[in-house]
Amino acid sequence: MIVRRLVDGVDERLDASSFIKHNLRKVFPDHWSFMLGELALYSFAMLLLTGIFLSLFFVASPAETIYQGPYAPMQGREVSLAYESVLRLSFEVRAGLVMRQTHHWAALVFVASMTAHLVRVFFTGAFRRPRELSWIIGVTLLVAGIGAGFTGYSLPDDLLSGTGLRIIDSAVLSIPVAGTWLAYLFFGGEFPAPELLSRLFVMHIFLIPAVITGLLSVHLALVWRQTHTQFRPKGTLEGTVTGTPVWPKFALKSVGLAFMTFAVLAGLGGLVQINPVWLYGPFVPYGALSPAQPDFYAGWLEGILRLWPNWELHLFGHTIGNLFLPAVVLPGIIFTGLALWPFIEARATGDTAVHHDAQRPRDEPVRSGIGAAGIAFFVSLMLAGSNDVLAKFLQVEVDSLNGVLRVLVFLMPAITGVVVWWLCRDLGARDAAPIARPARSEIRRNAAGGFDEVEDL
Amino acid sequence: MAGPAHAEARLLSRILRVGLTIAVLGQIAWSFRPGPSAAQPEFEAEGRALYEANCSTCHALGATGTPNGPSLLDSGPAAVDFMLRTGRMPLANPADQPERGQPKFTPAQIDALVAYVSSIAPGGLPIPTVDASQGDLALGARVFLDNCAACHGAGASGDSVGGGQIAPSLYEADPTVIGEAVRIGPGLMPTFGPGTIDQAELDSLAAYLLWLRDNGDEGGLQLGRAGAVAEGFIAIVVGLGILILVLRLTGAKR
Amino acid sequence: MKRSERLVALAFVVAIISALALFAVYVRGGNPQAEGALLALALGGVGAGLLLWATRLMPQIRDETQPRTQATPATDADREAAAETVEAGVEEIRRRRFLARLLLGAAGALGLAALIPIRSLGRSPGDSLLRTKWTAGARLVTADGTPVTTSTLEVGSFVTVFPEGFEGSADSQAVLVSVEPGLLHLPPEWSDGAPPGLVAYSKLCTHAGCPVGLYLAATHELRCPCHQSTFDVLNGARPVYGPAPRPLPQLPIEVGDDDVLRATGEFTGPVGPSFWELA
Repeated sequence: MIVRRLVDGVDERLDASSFIKHNLRKVFPDHWSFMLGELALYSFAMLLLTGIFLSLFFVASPAETIYQGPYAPMQGREVSLAYESVLRLSFEVRAGLVMRQTHHWAALVFVASMTAHLVRVFFTGAFRRPRELSWIIGVTLLVAGIGAGFTGYSLPDDLLSGTGLRIIDSAVLSIPVAGTWLAYLFFGGEFPAPELLSRLFVMHIFLIPAVITGLLSVHLALVWRQTHTQFRPKGTLEGTVTGTPVWPKFALKSVGLAFMTFAVLAGLGGLVQINPVWLYGPFVPYGALSPAQPDFYAGWLEGILRLWPNWELHLFGHTIGNLFLPAVVLPGIIFTGLALWPFIEARATGDTAVHHDAQRPRDEPVRSGIGAAGIAFFVSLMLAGSNDVLAKFLQVEVDSLNGVLRVLVFLMPAITGVVVWWLCRDLGARDAAPIARPARSEIRRNAAGGFDEVEDL
Repeated sequence: MAGPAHAEARLLSRILRVGLTIAVLGQIAWSFRPGPSAAQPEFEAEGRALYEANCSTCHALGATGTPNGPSLLDSGPAAVDFMLRTGRMPLANPADQPERGQPKFTPAQIDALVAYVSSIAPGGLPIPTVDASQGDLALGARVFLDNCAACHGAGASGDSVGGGQIAPSLYEADPTVIGEAVRIGPGLMPTFGPGTIDQAELDSLAAYLLWLRDNGDEGGLQLGRAGAVAEGFIAIVVGLGILILVLRLTGAKR
Repeated sequence: MKRSERLVALAFVVAIISALALFAVYVRGGNPQAEGALLALALGGVGAGLLLWATRLMPQIRDETQPRTQATPATDADREAAAETVEAGVEEIRRRRFLARLLLGAAGALGLAALIPIRSLGRSPGDSLLRTKWTAGARLVTADGTPVTTSTLEVGSFVTVFPEGFEGSADSQAVLVSVEPGLLHLPPEWSDGAPPGLVAYSKLCTHAGCPVGLYLAATHELRCPCHQSTFDVLNGARPVYGPAPRPLPQLPIEVGDDDVLRATGEFTGPVGPSFWELA
């Protein structure tokens, strides 16, 4: 039988049959929220697949050429080879547009599902000892994913993404002491430098995917080795894990989920337009367009920049630019704090024990309140980042909306945090002392004319 | 040189110069001639009646303006036609912002009003002639991106610009209205005269805007051409949303 | 059971038909919407089929409980032995103090040398952030090279300008605005740099460097699309709303003999966003 011959062959070469037997029998808990990480994994797989195709067509060169392709409004326009290659991919390569759009949708869903996964891990306390390293790797993966997205959508050299690059360059320039040097070294000179596009390309197709793949492998290996946390089922012992064996059921489910992820991404890729760079035109350094937003995962940063006051610090003949605090320091604090959260919480609660059980949010009201406040904070910032689109949608004055958002950005997290904290405490208390179910009893008339109570039913 | 030959040359040159001046001035004067319809007295009477009934309360009988509405003395036919054709005027409440809507008058009535206002407030920009069929899409896209996209959005679907206004979507504007807006700069909009957008560019701009109504969306649903904001919303709500639904259907709930 | 089997079968059949239809669409020239929809059906069919199979056709495979750690957990003695193994190796190096220190020195020196390629990545900023391509006498031209005269703009109009020969230059980009004469209130030292009713400012926003491309003519405000910084054209482009901390530097201009506008010098300040070396 083929399977037997295969296993014999592998064992002969790798001495692996006990490894196979052991690992195929490994169980994984089945709760739906534990699959969010898989969504991220499969979105990444889709990115790799579609990305390889795109890289076979994209030309990472800022050199100018005249567009001669079928898209009439750009006919005769001077554009970069990069921009031209993206238009050619979109309009002249069969299935090119669906591959390109699927790639971009996959990037958005990749970051969205990583965030959902992070939220799940946070609210269930799955980052606690011994899984702190997995958490740190996860936060790094999130940042890498955002970096991959940003470098990726800047590749077509269109007006919208070029404007975004200008903002990042300005943010780097604002760094005290070393800012101008850092900007000139990494961006290749004064903006826009000719080297910039090919550096973004190398970052996007090689350096960042290599980092993601490497870190992802360690992340998965850690989950495999340390076993997955779970809401411990009644009647099982601490130090055990209950779930579906990897082979065949869990593997089949995972592959099924992979296909569903691919399906959703491909569906979006063909049916819903994303990043129509032909409407934005090629990047020219003096061009301005609206609405001017980055992809959603940088929307919170855009919101910080739009709401931040116009402060600037001048000292002893030097300037600390307006962008430094909101665009460099604040994100730095946020992500460092996020990465170090397991240690912050352990210090604050004094809990350094090993935990393999997932908690329900209601079991940790303070943490859940803080998490909810964090989510509300990011949502408010993302709304701020889209303020002009939001104002047009709501038919209100955008500058007044800004005033409201400035208040909301503090109020929403505070209110959400307190409400969630209170809800968790309430739910937790109810679990500890559940309301007793009402007792039922029957009262029957007896022969003597009195009343007897029949036992509780 | 001296003598009779010189005097002759000078006379000839003087005649030429005067003739040229008359020709040029005549051309200019000719271009300000009133339209043929205004020559008919009934037409003007209709315009006058409409003006007195609908406009004079805010703009005054002599178009000199009141606290409720500006003077129309320097407006010109282009501005009047623009406001009426796009339904921005008449304004029900003077405190409202003018907004595009259904025109309150028929085209014939609008022509009559334009003619009447021109007669009591002559001058100002004439209604531009814009021929989209003469336009070049590529030039139009260039002009649009260089001048219009910053306020009206890269896809011409409109955007907030501050100052209490929203630069509107351009999908309902016909070429003449486009030309009028470009030349007069209504509301907060700046003006773009022939020095910045010449006739060929204006024709091309109109051609591109008409083209944008039904084209440019090869990728599928265009989400109001609102860019990354709409795309992010769909990615989270539809993309992640459907997938989480799948997870809930196939995973354990406990 | 039967019903679930039929559902799985249906899912796979949908996948097969969709994949074949995809071929047909492709061969006939392709269409993004059809391609996406059919791909979604094909992939989704396989996915749905597998998920249904796993969740409904394998009831006999139940959840199992296993210990989390497989091998026998390490004893203190094991950990002690592990630590000693590591220690033994480290000690070998530590024994030879002098050589170990030299090794550290070499590593440090090489580490510094490894920074050299980073220096090669770009040129030194120098004073390039403080200079643009504008010089005294440079004619103002539009992006296509057309010289700008006093009749290019009318009141309420604006246009993007560059020094002649540097059309499209990123740091030299400027915006020329025409306002009603007499409304300008420029700082006294720069009021000479604006002919009546005409003033030019750098187009680079002093917040994050985006081109300030919106002009709200009725209120004489230049506005940036990126973060809504708004600048008052009549008052030296000082910021009146938004996060921009500094006014847009003015480009001093004059009307030349041929009616073409010329710059009389550099901008009145550094263009674009702030940086450390900015005084």
